Formats: sequence, C-alpha cells, structure tokens
Amino acid sequence: MLSRLTDFDRTFDVLDELRRQMDRVWNDYDGSWGVTRSTTQPLSTASWPRCNVLDAGANLVVTTEVPGLSEKDLDVSLEDGVLTIAGERKPTELEGYAVHRRERPALRFARSFALPMKVDAEKTSASVKDGILTITLAKAPEARPRQISVKAAS
Amino acid sequence: MKTELTKSNEQTPARRAEEQRLAIRPRVDVFENEREYLVVADVPGVAKDAIDVRFEDGELRLEARRWTQANTDQPLSAEYHVADYRRAFAMPDGVDADKIEAELKSGVLEVHLPKSEAKRPRRIDIRAS
Repeated sequence: MLSRLTDFDRTFDVLDELRRQMDRVWNDYDGSWGVTRSTTQPLSTASWPRCNVLDAGANLVVTTEVPGLSEKDLDVSLEDGVLTIAGERKPTELEGYAVHRRERPALRFARSFALPMKVDAEKTSASVKDGILTITLAKAPEARPRQISVKAAS
Repeated sequence: MKTELTKSNEQTPARRAEEQRLAIRPRVDVFENEREYLVVADVPGVAKDAIDVRFEDGELRLEARRWTQANTDQPLSAEYHVADYRRAFAMPDGVDADKIEAELKSGVLEVHLPKSEAKRPRRIDIRAS
C-alpha cells in the first residue's frame, strides 16, 4: 500500500518536470519578437566571457565575446598546455546619470582551458576585432591531421 | 497518372536561411540625465555598417547583423551562438528623434537620445519682491 502511494507521488513528479520544462520554453522565448531571452539573465563570472573552440585542421581557434574590451584589457597566456584568458571589464563611468537598467556589469575574469593537443606556443596569435577576441593556436606537427594515401593493391 | 507540381509561395533556400537567422537580445544598460537617455548595448561581432537603429512611434529598435565566421571548422566546444541581435524599447515621450546619435566601439553600441527642449527640467529663478 505504501509503495503505491510513493508511485503515485512520482507520477506528479513527472508532471512537475514537464511543467518546469514548459516554463523554461516560455521563459526563453519572447513571442513578440521571436527572440530568445537567455542573454538577459544575470551574468555569471564562471562562464564569462563565453568561448567557442574550433578545430580548424592545422590550428585550434578560440573565439570569445569580449564587448567593450581592447587588447590592453586582456591577458592571454599559454603554459603547460593550458590556455588562460584573463581581464577586466571596467564599469561604465557616467557622472550625473540615473540608472534605469543594468545588465552589463563590470567584472574581473579568468578562464583556463586544458588544450586537447600539443600546440606550438611560438606560433600563437591573438587579436580583438569588434569585441571578439580570436586566439589562433598552431598545433604541434605531431598533432596535425595527416592525409594517408590509399594505394591500390596489385 | 498526372503529377502536378504546385508552387508554394516564394521560398527560396536563401530566403529561408535569412528568416531563420537566430537573433538574441543584447544586454543593455539604460541611463538618463536631464539632457538625454542613453542606451548602451553589448553587440560583439558586429561591424558598424551592419547596425540598424530605428526610432518609430516612441519605440527604439536595435538590430545588428553579426559577421559570420567560416563554418567549416569543427566546434570542439560552443558556449555561444553566432546570432544576430534584436531588441526594442518603448521610450518615454519627449525624445528629440532628429538628434538621436549612435556610436559603435569594440562591440559596444551607444545610442544617445536627447530630450526635446520642452521636456528638459528648467531652473526657475525666484525674484525677491
């Protein structure tokens, strides 16, 4: 009898989960403009700036969204196969303005990535353009993809 | 048996791709002082000519197209979408639409919306009688 009751409770768990998921769908979707809302949720410094890592054959490319930062606000370092991006976004200093909305806080950040393969530190470059930081890491020769030609067996 | 090819409304693949471009709401700060409203938006990945700022019926609309990177690379990890930006704000009355100015600097868009003369606070001098 007791076990049945617990089963019964779990039935509602499933419904609760469904409701939570539906809530999430609606929260993420702003019907009026067909736009997802996720970017206006509070910033977490653990995941700022957001990074994409691409494998471009001979290179590993890390792109990061760093709006408002220039090269002097950023510190990129490579040590023991760990790439670290650090920096600081200073607060927007405005004298005599009242604040209506603040979604772009000032923050200090540092993120590290253990790289999946050996890279050549000498051939690493980084640049910032339009608030996007692009770091290009040249893979070490042994880590590059190799084309293996197939010979016809006679 | 005859098969008829019906043509649905003009939906070329290119146009569909255009409509399906993902758009997100940029993060913004909104400020105000006695002279103007100031909207500051984070729009990383957007060049100056790809921004559209409109003011219509008291509504400020920001739209920005992101330059797309070559998509042939394999993502090992992706934390953000390469998406366009779109957001609208209802502004209070008294914005001088002709004097709105926008400026883009390293992925941050600033829109200055000056208040019209009539809406600005005025200092009233008190005369001694």
